[in-house]
Amino acid sequence: MLRVAQNLYDYRELVATLAWKNIALRYKQAYLGIAWAVIKPVTLMLIFTLVRSFVGIDSGSVPYPVLTFAALMPWIFFQESASEGVNSVVGNTPLIKKIYFPREIFPITSVTTKLIELGINFVILAAMMAWYGMVPSLHALWVPVIILYTVLAALVVSLFGAAVNVYFRDVGQALPVLLNLLMYASPVIYPLQLVQDKLLQQQAAGEWSRLLYTLYTLNPLAGIIDAFQSVVLRNQAPDLGALLPGMVLVAALLPLSYLYFKRAEAYFADVI
Amino acid sequence: MPAIEVSHLSKEYRLGALQGVRQTALNAGRRLLGRPAEERPLFKALDDVSFSIEPGEVVGIIGHNGAGKSTLLKMLARISTPTRGSVKVNGRIAPLIEVGAGFVPDFTGRENVYLNGAILGMSKAEIDRKFDEIVDFAEMAEFIDTPVKRYSSGMQVKLAFAVATSVDAEILIVDEVLAVGDLAFQRKCFDRMNEAIRHQDRTVLIVSHNIRQIERMCSRVILMDHGRLVRDGQAIEVCDAFFRGSNEKIASYAAKASHARIRSSGEAELLDISIVGSDGEPIDEIVAGSDLTVRVRFRLADRLERPEIIVGTHTTDFVYLTGASTAVLDSRPDYERGDHEIAATFGHYPLSAGVYAVRFVIHDSHRRAVFVGENLRTFKVKVSATEAREEGLRILDLPVTWHLSGMDADSKRGERHARVPVPSQAHAD
Repeated sequence: MLRVAQNLYDYRELVATLAWKNIALRYKQAYLGIAWAVIKPVTLMLIFTLVRSFVGIDSGSVPYPVLTFAALMPWIFFQESASEGVNSVVGNTPLIKKIYFPREIFPITSVTTKLIELGINFVILAAMMAWYGMVPSLHALWVPVIILYTVLAALVVSLFGAAVNVYFRDVGQALPVLLNLLMYASPVIYPLQLVQDKLLQQQAAGEWSRLLYTLYTLNPLAGIIDAFQSVVLRNQAPDLGALLPGMVLVAALLPLSYLYFKRAEAYFADVI
Repeated sequence: MPAIEVSHLSKEYRLGALQGVRQTALNAGRRLLGRPAEERPLFKALDDVSFSIEPGEVVGIIGHNGAGKSTLLKMLARISTPTRGSVKVNGRIAPLIEVGAGFVPDFTGRENVYLNGAILGMSKAEIDRKFDEIVDFAEMAEFIDTPVKRYSSGMQVKLAFAVATSVDAEILIVDEVLAVGDLAFQRKCFDRMNEAIRHQDRTVLIVSHNIRQIERMCSRVILMDHGRLVRDGQAIEVCDAFFRGSNEKIASYAAKASHARIRSSGEAELLDISIVGSDGEPIDEIVAGSDLTVRVRFRLADRLERPEIIVGTHTTDFVYLTGASTAVLDSRPDYERGDHEIAATFGHYPLSAGVYAVRFVIHDSHRRAVFVGENLRTFKVKVSATEAREEGLRILDLPVTWHLSGMDADSKRGERHARVPVPSQAHAD
């Protein structure tokens, strides 16, 4: 673990430069430039808001557009970090074949790139909160912790996925589909409160309700999105009960994912 | 402590395509059950290679295509991992393996310098400090803010080389990068490499097919063949061995299939070309300093008036050595339609041991090319019995008379030599 941190520190300038490359390259010949980073969450927010006007989703005390935007921010950050991370090794074939530096630099760079885009979305979130007259409290200090946790969750997927993708490109194809499914299993369109009401209060699935809820929160994004909304919008501390199962899962899988990546790394240049 | 220590290094690749999911799963199942899995055949790219390099040594690695040179460099640069054996490297490595690997076409020269520098392990501060020097060396000041995609390929390589060689590393690994840019720039690169080698005391590993360059730059050379280390020693000695091997290979190729380059207007056809001995019989080999007689039989489709005939020799890599033209003769015969045979004799063919080739050209009286043929026949020149004691760094084999303290001595070769005293410093280098 220490060596991982040491490596990261040694190569911080490389990560920064490569992330800058990714950002600069994506927006270089685009007239709107970096504004494209906010197009996706804003569009999805508008669509969800439109859909909600037909089906009716209870958003509690928080206006629905802000609530869903605050859900989309960590979600899109996770989704894009994971899918870009998975393709990052194969996408950098020329570098892999020509020069050595720790290969985890590639997935980590993908996450870093997405962090920058996430930062831009905070501007939109702040503007929306100001529009609705919402003021963040001290609880907002949790935000960095929640984002760090999201980074780790994304790395679980991208380290393992990137390594397998070198051997079987199917992973790169399948992941977007799987992630789209996962979005519906995460409290993006609806707040977590609705799930809790159904399963914990109304015991909708009978004696299985408790188990189902734990299964639901095993998805780290469930806890992450809810916690993010709580600390930024509801001025509450994060709901640790919803966070815990996902955290256990990430804590268990991250070392495995990393070790698998490091083991496979030695053959990247031969196989890719 | 050696800078690089390689012991019993082997690298195997599986031949054929990557296994599908089904095969992988089947094999995993078989292994679990303790039964042998179905494996694809192995290819040994490196086979039990061991050597060690001390700090400050300049080592060249030579060998034919597929000898394992690049695989070896990849192991040293940690890009690929050994199947067996180990590689120990003490110090920072700067691999100049195919410069410009990380160039992004959409970025400007300036941005690419920073990006490539970072990829090669330089910090931003370091690049800032060296930026002007890099741009100066690449002669790119004017274009540094233009996207690289608008550069010529030569410009790209120049910039990439400038960045790559500005890395401060104890160990430089160079793979065929000196052949970049125009001649003037190649000279500059060569000087820069030399400077790095001589004054900065770096350990340098060079892979190149340019054996002459290796011979000049390296103190020690490793010869690889089919994944094995065949020879490791003094540059001159190993390069010579390689040349001899190469020449024999070329000679055997030439014997099997003619790689002749022929351009003909259709008016002339080559029937036979051979090197003949004093008895008129074709031979493959002559002794350095003896006569070389080339006999050519050709057929003309039409009468040619006063044609100019050229017979010459060149090395197997097309450096023209000798050439004799009938244009210097005051009167030249006309050639009728039909078969003809001519012969040209070079008295005292002065080339040192090696394999050379013959060219034959016919021009008409207006110097229009009727027939141009190169590499028409190869022949071997061998040196008399003293070969092993001869100086290796030479291309000409000329008789010499020594004036040493107390005794005068002639080189004792070839009765046919005219014993002209030649100043000893005039020997070719």
